[in-house]
Amino acid sequence: MGLTGLAIFKELPKKNCGECGVPTCLAFAMALAAGKATLDACPYVSEEAKENLGSASAPPIKLIKIGAGDSKTVELGDETVMFRHDKTFYHPTGIAFEVEDNLDEAAFAAKLEAIKGLEFDRVGLHYTVDFIAVKNTSGNADTFAAAVKKAADAADFALILMSEDAAAMEKAVEAVTARKPLIYAATADNYEAMTAVAQKYEAPLAVKGSNLDELEDVVNKVVALGYKELVLDPGSRNTVDVVADLTQLRRMAIKKKFRTFGFPVMAFTSEEAPLDEVMQAQAYVSKYASLVVLRTTEKQFILPLLSWRQNLYTDPQKPIQVESKIYEVGAVNENSPVYITTNFSLSYYSVEGEVESSKIPSYIIPVDTDGTSVLTAWAAGKFGGDRVAEVMKELGIENKVNHRNVVIPGYVAVIAAKLKEDSGWNVIVGPRESAGISPFARANFTS
Amino acid sequence: MIIIGERINGMFTDIGEAVKTKNPKPLQEWAIKQKEGGAHYIDLNTGPSCDDRVAGMKWMVEVVQEVCDLPLVLDSTNYDAIEAGLKLCKKPAMINSVPAERPKIERVFPMAVEHNAQIIGLTMNEKGIPKNADARVALAMELVAAADEFGLPMEDLFIDPLILPVNVAQDHVPEVLEAIRQIKFLADPAPRTVLGLSNVSQKSPDRPLLNRVYLAMAAACGLDAAIADANDDSLMETAASVEILLNQAIYCDSYVKVYRTR
Repeated sequence: MGLTGLAIFKELPKKNCGECGVPTCLAFAMALAAGKATLDACPYVSEEAKENLGSASAPPIKLIKIGAGDSKTVELGDETVMFRHDKTFYHPTGIAFEVEDNLDEAAFAAKLEAIKGLEFDRVGLHYTVDFIAVKNTSGNADTFAAAVKKAADAADFALILMSEDAAAMEKAVEAVTARKPLIYAATADNYEAMTAVAQKYEAPLAVKGSNLDELEDVVNKVVALGYKELVLDPGSRNTVDVVADLTQLRRMAIKKKFRTFGFPVMAFTSEEAPLDEVMQAQAYVSKYASLVVLRTTEKQFILPLLSWRQNLYTDPQKPIQVESKIYEVGAVNENSPVYITTNFSLSYYSVEGEVESSKIPSYIIPVDTDGTSVLTAWAAGKFGGDRVAEVMKELGIENKVNHRNVVIPGYVAVIAAKLKEDSGWNVIVGPRESAGISPFARANFTS
Repeated sequence: MIIIGERINGMFTDIGEAVKTKNPKPLQEWAIKQKEGGAHYIDLNTGPSCDDRVAGMKWMVEVVQEVCDLPLVLDSTNYDAIEAGLKLCKKPAMINSVPAERPKIERVFPMAVEHNAQIIGLTMNEKGIPKNADARVALAMELVAAADEFGLPMEDLFIDPLILPVNVAQDHVPEVLEAIRQIKFLADPAPRTVLGLSNVSQKSPDRPLLNRVYLAMAAACGLDAAIADANDDSLMETAASVEILLNQAIYCDSYVKVYRTR
């Protein structure tokens, strides 16, 4: 949606002089909204109004990139909705891990190794984490710079540098200039010096306030200095306050076009116990955080968090698909039955769950139907007997089993003849619903 | 789709008579009946034969509230009568209506803000009802600017682009649809829209058919509310269908029942 008539009218001088060729400012605002006039026609409109009107058509939340050169580049922000079902969430939350610069060498290296080890393969997907956040706990600028350098050398993660001392920050950024790290943080006390460092190295800058009012104030001051590559930290640390603040920031940016808050936001976990911490992180991922900084690096706590992030950021309009390949359920052998379904994840996992509970090791082949269900795919001509025969051949199921029996979904019994003709296999029409697989399997395939 | 029950209006002889003789029964019966039909608001209009509109409106508000808990729509050109009625309303009410004329805007908008009331704003002024959509939208813009000026939440402004009977003003009918479409773009959040739906079929045969078809057409253009016959079942079923087809209410098999009992 472009600018509304009311939004334009509020920026006009309200002189009703008619010099724009339209009798009143109100009518001129409507002409502008309808695209029938240009703002230049009004000689009295202020520079500020022009700026406001020009930027009102910009996206509500700015896209900020962190990382460059030989590191990961992580994109944050650029979101447009409060609820994923309204459209989708676009840029998955960046996951960062805090490492303190006062750790001894061995502990520091171990921590980096632990973070590097946070890679997971699950249900055909690969999960990784994004950032190392180096914290200047030592208070020493040289120690900080050395630690940052070590972190940069250890892995290609994007970096967050945490120090409120601008001199230490400058030294550390200098050590990893090409990486365009996130500078954390500009505050009410140091924003001039911090903004200068960010501008000099063209690195994104985190702005921290102790509450939303102070945050607004500091952001406006930083923007007035001419810097707009920002990430916001509202300063709250209790889950309930953070969720309220993040919601407010997102709402103001999207619903009210409040440009001061039109930037990605970050949150820090504060819980001590890893289990509580990961629950807290999950709340922040759900509630609009573009970046979450954690401390625990234990795999068992991070995997569920990354699974949740992946889940939340899927596009609700696009069906989730599984890879089209031969799946083995249980300890299969050359006599195991073969089931056919589609690669729509709902269809596939319904079948897989039922096959598993039948306790008879089996093969399942999900045919690639662009993620559509059995009947949808069949109606669209993506699940005919010829197509299924083709996929069976391509995947080489004939080399896995000695028998030549294949089970198809009961609702597409009609494809059986064609499938038999094209594949030469004996086609067994299975139950219509996957819930019928267990009794069907026990009746037909006693192991 | 908000349906404002239109029946308690002094223009109807039974109501006109009841207001004159201060007989609450017909008003109370119609209030209950309209609520059962699925109405969300009850319109109250003393009618032209009432001598003391202020006293008449106060009495109407009181007797209807005795039996019905729906919010009320105070329908009068007499703003003293509306103000007196507002003071007695137990729930935030709606003012029906104010044209895009400065003196009336200045009288009604502050009153609405004070009493937390909603306003129906008409896209007309001293010069009458405009012919085309653009002129209607220009007047709607004045009402939108007034809401902003007086601090009335935009969702509490219902703009009525004034539908006229299809048998004598047929060319206005599509213009009103276009006006509804454009009004939704005047502000963000958008003002809401309302029609005096039954006007479209004045003096035409098979009025319910015209009413419900136009309701569906207007809803697709962004209509939010209609002052209409809440006891016309075919109309209420249309209103229920519209919410489903515009994805405003989540579908279920019994969507008509849900709409009427919500």
